[in-house]
Amino acid sequence: MDLKRAGMAGTLESSDIMVVVEPKEDDGIKIHLESPVEKQFGDQIKKVILDTLDELGVDKAMIRAKDKGALDCVIKARIQTAVYRGADSKDYLWGEVER
Amino acid sequence: MLDFNNYVEKTIHLNNREEREQIERFLRQNSLRLENDIEYSFALYDGERMVATGSFSSNVLKCIAVDSGYEGMGMAGKVLSRLVTEEFRRGRTHLFIFTKPENVGIFKEMGFYEISRVPLKVALMENIPDGISGFTHRLKKNKKPGRAVGSIVVNANPFTKGHKYLVEKASMECDWLHIFVVWEDRSVFPPEVRYRLVKEGIKHLKNVTVHKGKDYIISNATFPTYFLKQPDEAVKIQSVLDIKIFQQHIAPALGINRRYVGEEPYCPVTIIYNQSMKEMLPDRGIEVFEISRKSLGGFAISASRVRKLLREGELNLVKEMVPDTTFAFLNSEDALSILDKIKN
Repeated sequence: MDLKRAGMAGTLESSDIMVVVEPKEDDGIKIHLESPVEKQFGDQIKKVILDTLDELGVDKAMIRAKDKGALDCVIKARIQTAVYRGADSKDYLWGEVER
Repeated sequence: MLDFNNYVEKTIHLNNREEREQIERFLRQNSLRLENDIEYSFALYDGERMVATGSFSSNVLKCIAVDSGYEGMGMAGKVLSRLVTEEFRRGRTHLFIFTKPENVGIFKEMGFYEISRVPLKVALMENIPDGISGFTHRLKKNKKPGRAVGSIVVNANPFTKGHKYLVEKASMECDWLHIFVVWEDRSVFPPEVRYRLVKEGIKHLKNVTVHKGKDYIISNATFPTYFLKQPDEAVKIQSVLDIKIFQQHIAPALGINRRYVGEEPYCPVTIIYNQSMKEMLPDRGIEVFEISRKSLGGFAISASRVRKLLREGELNLVKEMVPDTTFAFLNSEDALSILDKIKN
């Protein structure tokens, strides 16, 4: 999926994560993550973000994530929503993302 | 045990007198006031009682307050989330917060980064980690050597012979001159047009770079009261904030050690701004040169006078006050909608 503009999802409330997914000129994914549990789970959070983007076919994007202690399923859902918003797409591929 | 489901979220209709008074009262209790350029307000209620609120004007979040009895309960997070979501929905992604320095810590927790502050008065933050640093990084590419590196900030609404005179004088006295065009779209001439007319009007000068001021020089974020043109207690504080950002971030990126301003005889806001510049910049190694205005037939040439003449349809008088490049634009088809706006 191609990002057309910045897409945002989530909140800054406890147990959630606010993510902004932006188009990027060059290839690759860049993640700027801030989390109170970055030391313990930073790599795991980034893995969930990368896996979700991969499933959605996004290969160039700038991600800003402000984590408030979200579980993996929440992170995944927020990234999916932000990407759909940024790609201006409503063709939710439920089967695809359920894998 | 607190029941969190009792909180009601509500968009405030500022046209509704009762709701407006309620939010004004709540802000007053928190030593804040409702700014008069607010476009969206939101509040959280515990039953009938307002316990937290936040607002924004264009891309700047402000007037954010939480009842002291409800601190530490995630209220700020709820308010910020709602404001940020609403801004993105309106297509704005680079956001700012105008707040008191004591609240910087709370907003850092919410993914905002400090740009600058005036101690005890105000702090400005943004939601992009490399916002201001990215801006100055791009500026650095235009850095030019020289002992005297000057700068001028202009709104140029539109570019007049007065601006041209100031630029020519500064260009002559400096090794290099950087001009920043105010980028906020709150003047009758849109930013792209103002920028183009400045560039065309100074084409004959070989030691000048024209920059877009973007969000960091006299913008809705750094200096909202500039655009309201009313003398106000906030003008002084915001002047200081704007000049501090200039001195702290922008001047070092380009090696600027001079700032040129036109003497301001009329506008109270600009008078305060110029005064603050003279108070603050010399101590930081930036000399301020206030140049008396070029006048014509007993009147100082100013963009506001040009707009007045345009409103009255006195195009022949305008011709005397603007460079040929600006005059050519005013007679072009592109100018029709702008001239309409001025007349109405």
